[in-house]
Amino acid sequence: MKISENHPVECAGIRISGLCKSFLVDGMKLEVLRGIDLDLQQGEITVLLGRSGCGKTTLLRVVSGLETADSGTVKLEPGTKLGMVFQEPRLMPWLSVRKNIAFGLSKDETYWKQIDGLIAMTGLSGFEKAYPAQLSGGMQQRAALARALAMGTSFILMDEPFAALDYFTRQTMQQELLRIQQEEKKGILFVTHSIDEALTLGDRIAVIDEGRCRTVYDLRNQSRPRDLMSDAMIDLKRRILMDIGGETPQGDTSMR
Amino acid sequence: MGEKRAEHGRVKRSAERLGRGLVFALILFLAWELAFRSGRWSRYVLPGPGKVAGALWTMIANGSLFVSMAVSLRRVLTGYLIAFVLAFLLGAAAAARPRWNDYYGPYLEFMRNVPPLSLIALLILWFGIGETSKIIIIVLASFFPMFLNIRKGFTSCDKKLLEVGQVCGFSYFRQFSRIILPSAVPDILVGMRIGLGYSWRAIIGAEMIAASSGLGYLILDAQQMSRSDKVIVGILAIGLIGIACDKVFGLLVSWVTHGGADSENI
Repeated sequence: MKISENHPVECAGIRISGLCKSFLVDGMKLEVLRGIDLDLQQGEITVLLGRSGCGKTTLLRVVSGLETADSGTVKLEPGTKLGMVFQEPRLMPWLSVRKNIAFGLSKDETYWKQIDGLIAMTGLSGFEKAYPAQLSGGMQQRAALARALAMGTSFILMDEPFAALDYFTRQTMQQELLRIQQEEKKGILFVTHSIDEALTLGDRIAVIDEGRCRTVYDLRNQSRPRDLMSDAMIDLKRRILMDIGGETPQGDTSMR
Repeated sequence: MGEKRAEHGRVKRSAERLGRGLVFALILFLAWELAFRSGRWSRYVLPGPGKVAGALWTMIANGSLFVSMAVSLRRVLTGYLIAFVLAFLLGAAAAARPRWNDYYGPYLEFMRNVPPLSLIALLILWFGIGETSKIIIIVLASFFPMFLNIRKGFTSCDKKLLEVGQVCGFSYFRQFSRIILPSAVPDILVGMRIGLGYSWRAIIGAEMIAASSGLGYLILDAQQMSRSDKVIVGILAIGLIGIACDKVFGLLVSWVTHGGADSENI
């Protein structure tokens, strides 16, 4: 069992340092991020794990540029192109699946062969001309992922993309994402509040609590598909729960 | 195969609906004929269907009906197009600067509540009884529904969709052309449809008060000549053109919302 907690030094991807962000809510200053340091490696899945309101989505939005930080920096490796998959698919309802996937591209950037390749890879073949409203939630999310990939992104930010899906669809989508990541070797920053999802997907798991990065777990040595019932995983789950909860969850080793 | 069957079903359904609609026309026609034959009302008050059909035929044959229709339609289209351009530009500006509503909002509300026809006395005084006053009436009648709906369409764009464009690195122009405008299309079309109906009604009224041509004038002229059969022909023409305009618009709407925005199926 090789689960280390070392903060990596090398960085070819995204380097986040000293990130702070607060919002004004009813005249009250709400500190959401209180100095986050984190390195996101290219070609790996980094999972941001934490309870609701811990600041993980805000962190993702700052990295994507949708929010600006109060202080601290987000440094991208030169040439990094970011893509984003939101919790809701956010497809344009007036466009067919195919056009939605090509949405971010201008006409002369659009290579339909490549788009069709993405459609096949995300399992949407046969639904190219369907409109988003005609698709299931899982398929809409596949289209959203394909849209992010279509822009030639090297790093994808995913904000609880499978949270609204049912258990089985979620399992399938996780496996699909792993498969696509294997094929495409993209860097992924994946936000979730599900420990099981984090353990299934993550090369690294960064546990976020109260606006700080508590621990980064390195799971690169854990082979996939991961057996969440294995001793290593159960042990890791217990340690993550302690990070988040701050107390030992006695005897709580249930895996769902 | 299934698609063909669905298509067939659709055609059959619409034929059935048309048939049901005609039932009422038939009943009305019979009642009309019976009432006419009973002789209770004078021929001037209630001309028979035959007389009306005769008048219709004469007016078609000598072309006077089409001339009147064309005159009215041209006025409507001119005023309507002007109103649309104004409503689109001002609606977009109003959506971009929502706070300016404090300055113009009350006056807009005021103008919206003044029926354009009530302004015709002033408009004739200022612009004469030529085409200008009529076109202004149409502009006034159709501007407000279009302006309000276009503004609504532009302001109600989903912020979450805009964020997608932001992440894609879209410029403001691209945000507008690829997200804001297409998402506003349904609202814009609703406004255009209402505006077209309003302008059609307004032109008939305006032509009845101050005009020497057009369908409204045709009716007024027929009334003064005691030709109630021609009055009825005029009313039928107005109603039918109104329906036709709305149908054409309906087709346009379904084309745009289903395929139009995404018609180039590559």
